[in-house]
Amino acid sequence: MRSFAHFNAATVDEAVSVLRRYGGKATVIAGGTDVLGRMKDEILPAYPEALVNIKTIPGLDFIDEIDGVIIIGALTRLEDIALNRAVQASCPALAEAARRTASTHLREMGTIGGNICQDVRCWYYRNPDNRFSCLKKGGGRCYAINGDNRYHSIFGGSVDQGCYAVHVSDMAPALVALDAAIKTSRREVRAEEFFKVGMLRTTILDDDEIVTEIKIPKPVGWSAFFKFALRKAIDFPIVNCAAMMALAEGKVTEARICLNAVHGTPYRARKAEEVMIGVSINEDTAEAAGSAAISAAIPLTKNGYMVQIAKTMVKRAILACNCPDKL
Amino acid sequence: MMDSDFDYEIENQDFSAIGKRGIWRIDGREKASGSAIYTADIKLPGMLYARVFNSPYPHAGIKSMDTSKVEAFPGVRAVLRSDDPEIKDKVVPGSYGAPWYVLPDWAMWEGEPIGLVVAADSEQICDEALKLVEIDWDIRPFITDIEDAQKPGAPELHNKVPNDIYDAVNENNPYASAFSELFRIAEGHRTFEQGSVKKGFAEADKIIEFKARRRMHTWAQPEIPSAICRWNGGYPEIWVKHQHAYEHKQVMPVWFDVPMNKVTLHVPYQGAMFGGWNWMNWSTVIHYISALLSKRTGKPVKLCFNRRDDFYGGALDCGTYEFKVGAKKDGTITAVAIKSDYVNGPTAAEANTGIYHFIENSRIPNLFKENNSVVVNRGPVTAVRCEQLANTLCFNMVFSHVAAELGLDPTEVALKNDGYDGEDSEYLTECKKRFGKPQRDSLRECIEAGKKAIDWDNKWHTPGTRKLPNGKMHGIGFVWTHEWNSKRGAGTVGVLFEPDGSVSLMAQRADTGLCAETAYCQIAADELGMRYEDVFLNSHKDSGFAMMTPDGSCNLCTNGWVIRRACRKAKRKLLEFAALGYQEEFHSYPPAFEGCGPEDLDVKDSVIFVKANPAISKTVKEVVKEVMCVQWWKHPQIYDWSWKQTGAHVDPTGEASEELIDPNKRPHFCRQAHFMEVEVDPETGEIEVTNVVCVNDVGKAINPEGVQGQQYGGVYMAVGRGKHEEVILDEPTGVMLNGNLLDYKITTILDCGPIDPIIVETAMGYGPYGANGIGENVADLTSTLLGPAVYNALGVAVDDFPITPAKILKALGKI
Repeated sequence: MRSFAHFNAATVDEAVSVLRRYGGKATVIAGGTDVLGRMKDEILPAYPEALVNIKTIPGLDFIDEIDGVIIIGALTRLEDIALNRAVQASCPALAEAARRTASTHLREMGTIGGNICQDVRCWYYRNPDNRFSCLKKGGGRCYAINGDNRYHSIFGGSVDQGCYAVHVSDMAPALVALDAAIKTSRREVRAEEFFKVGMLRTTILDDDEIVTEIKIPKPVGWSAFFKFALRKAIDFPIVNCAAMMALAEGKVTEARICLNAVHGTPYRARKAEEVMIGVSINEDTAEAAGSAAISAAIPLTKNGYMVQIAKTMVKRAILACNCPDKL
Repeated sequence: MMDSDFDYEIENQDFSAIGKRGIWRIDGREKASGSAIYTADIKLPGMLYARVFNSPYPHAGIKSMDTSKVEAFPGVRAVLRSDDPEIKDKVVPGSYGAPWYVLPDWAMWEGEPIGLVVAADSEQICDEALKLVEIDWDIRPFITDIEDAQKPGAPELHNKVPNDIYDAVNENNPYASAFSELFRIAEGHRTFEQGSVKKGFAEADKIIEFKARRRMHTWAQPEIPSAICRWNGGYPEIWVKHQHAYEHKQVMPVWFDVPMNKVTLHVPYQGAMFGGWNWMNWSTVIHYISALLSKRTGKPVKLCFNRRDDFYGGALDCGTYEFKVGAKKDGTITAVAIKSDYVNGPTAAEANTGIYHFIENSRIPNLFKENNSVVVNRGPVTAVRCEQLANTLCFNMVFSHVAAELGLDPTEVALKNDGYDGEDSEYLTECKKRFGKPQRDSLRECIEAGKKAIDWDNKWHTPGTRKLPNGKMHGIGFVWTHEWNSKRGAGTVGVLFEPDGSVSLMAQRADTGLCAETAYCQIAADELGMRYEDVFLNSHKDSGFAMMTPDGSCNLCTNGWVIRRACRKAKRKLLEFAALGYQEEFHSYPPAFEGCGPEDLDVKDSVIFVKANPAISKTVKEVVKEVMCVQWWKHPQIYDWSWKQTGAHVDPTGEASEELIDPNKRPHFCRQAHFMEVEVDPETGEIEVTNVVCVNDVGKAINPEGVQGQQYGGVYMAVGRGKHEEVILDEPTGVMLNGNLLDYKITTILDCGPIDPIIVETAMGYGPYGANGIGENVADLTSTLLGPAVYNALGVAVDDFPITPAKILKALGKI
């Protein structure tokens, strides 16, 4: 690893100020589970000049419940979220997403803020020493299209450029399904909007902006999270899916379903949601919703299997939401 | 007449350490506490770090190279170029004596170490400096897939080291071994036939044809390799991370003008191996580079690799397989013919690879094997976690397909075909008698134990017929073969009674494997009559003696014999000293047991006693306390040593016939049988391994916990290789995509259900006390057990390893 400047920020303002001073050449570090790997492998042509450590900022590591609203500090570790009784009781999708992230050791390091700000996954983009100068690095093409794309987007390339890397956060789809809000040093946005960016970024954050807390509104329905990965620990998802279903008199009144690891950003399965509105949750409706979720899939040469898995994850997440008595 | 040390003595043994549980591992505290030192940990004063340049192209040569910016980079202390007059085109003996370039100037795979080496104040400086080299490349066409490589118009690839140079280096290397042949990266075609498969197919009721494929998987050792050398004047001192550490001392005189007695060898703890790296030619040659750079700079040099560097290479079974099998309705197999195309040479170097286990433990009379080597632009293939992978893959595939196609219980098919070299199990029984072994039916015992443990009779079913309440398909698989052999290697060991009454075993051995050194101490304790805690083997130290390396699951059999023999000799000396004392011109030492002969004495629990009256006793410590060869003390130390070539027991009767002596005519008597249950999710293609039962007839378990450790570890390694271990290259560029432990997927402890490790002890092995090796057996044999288990679940064969979700879904017609 090369040398770099290192700042321990005492406040959010101080962190923002240092980031602003470096004008995009500094990187935020909290748990470090993503950023250190990127730096060690030198995947980017430019190396960060400075790291701004925000773990030293007090007051960002907490889980509160106020009138049914769950508020989680950005520095809260994933293991704490997974084990939190309030989160488990009202937002099971979030607790399960945290539990299924990485491994125990990594969950004890990684924070929810870092998890939703992590960079995309693509073994061309992340190949050490910048071996593939791909679109996302300012190069001319996406190597995955004609290469080995078994873990790449099944819903096309990024809107602006055609990068097939995938966003693999386990927390992100749960937050989208739960309609959470992300509070930053500058603003508050809905989780879904937080990830709506072009190829060159993974979040809407400016270079001098950091996440401070996450607010999950009082859930209107039961939620569930499913993850498909090759191994039960460590691995990023091949496909994951979070769903929340509000039920009244046995019929779905509100549905929010979000897949991840299938596209450059968390993928809201709106067609599946439409299928579910007004019907009861059962094998047939969930199956139909699963099919609807993948209706826009355009798999590449080697990732057709992900479509089938995505369909199944949607189906299973919906079926697991059929718990009207639990909230 | 053979030495009586080589009798089996399997009955009526009252061991105090051998076979006992709860024995403290001699390396346990250091490893468990994190205080064990590995080569990767070592930092010497003034040490420089060195890194080799890796080819960015899978097939390319260096036309010219400008290293001026590299040399000028701050912190760089030396640059070694491939066109340096001292090493240009130089080929030297490498691992196992196999010739390899010190530093080639052309690459056969992306990532191959070529062109230049940088030595600098830190690894980071090396990495940054290496990026500044300017190379004019001769980029050549390449091919990475074995099937594509056989299509018309595929690029023509040549041997890495031309045959004439290879042969010349071998000729001039006094330590060249037959194994070096296994390192040629060369095209080749060999066939083997025993009996007549044409006749065998004609006798069959059914002909079964199928294909299988094994993608490249690799060793993934935990400790990243490095090589350290420091020249102390004219004397080199080396720190070796390698399974074959002693070879590095041997090869220094061949490389440099320095005799072996001037070479100091350090062998720190080894962060596991799993074969692979140790068999890569340059795993030894990197010591040449660190030695040369150390000599030139006058500083210690540590040549470092990184995690990605350690993924360039794969296992011997990487290739494609076509099977044709003839069988009778009752499961009797009449003929087996297999054609295999293997990657890059070594696997095809022997004509019977793939058919070998049919010869070794079946009564199938008609066998045919065709082995082809296809050279592609990938790293070399070599013995990864075992060299028998192709053999067990073929054996497993044939037996599981025959049983499934005929609708028979695969355990019955195994029992029906058990035998040796075309002869049936009755012949095996005759052999057991001839070799002085118990006449037990090892396969039947293993199968019965395994079936009971996994509840086979209630769980086995016709393929594709059992759907579970959770919607998944249940499958159960079975695989078998013989236990691993003990036919090679040599070891030497010294046994020394220290003046405080403790015993040092003296021999160097890389601590690869699982508690082998502890097992040697157990053997020594029982043979000497010492308490286990009074015996110690410091295998890191180069005492001049070297044990059989931890290869081929042979080392316990070889080294166990050596230890036993040396200890018996040393014990005799101890008792002679105790009974007779010592007298010389100027010194004398009275006997500890006046009036006794050595034969009247024995040792137990580190106490020497009179056999006729055990109350008359003295501790070993008391007897040897003045034994020290310094100053005015009186007696040289009591010690002895012994050696043994091959782990195989040679001749129990002392009337050695040619058949008894020839290790190639020695049937395996012990068997292993493994059982695996899976649940396959037809909607996602996910395979869950829910239950594994391993049954190993290890003959005699010297260290039962060590045996079970190998069974557990073997299953985890095997499940990974069955499900998801694969070195993946980008086909358009030939660049490796998953050279790290996140994207290359070793099984975690959560990815396998309960494992039941069962030990059977028939004492029919050729090792001491009738033991066999266990190191590689389970990891090798069960790596394709997932195939039959999935076949049983789905009723469809998916024998393309690793069996990924995509392959399952495709087989089910879901994609």
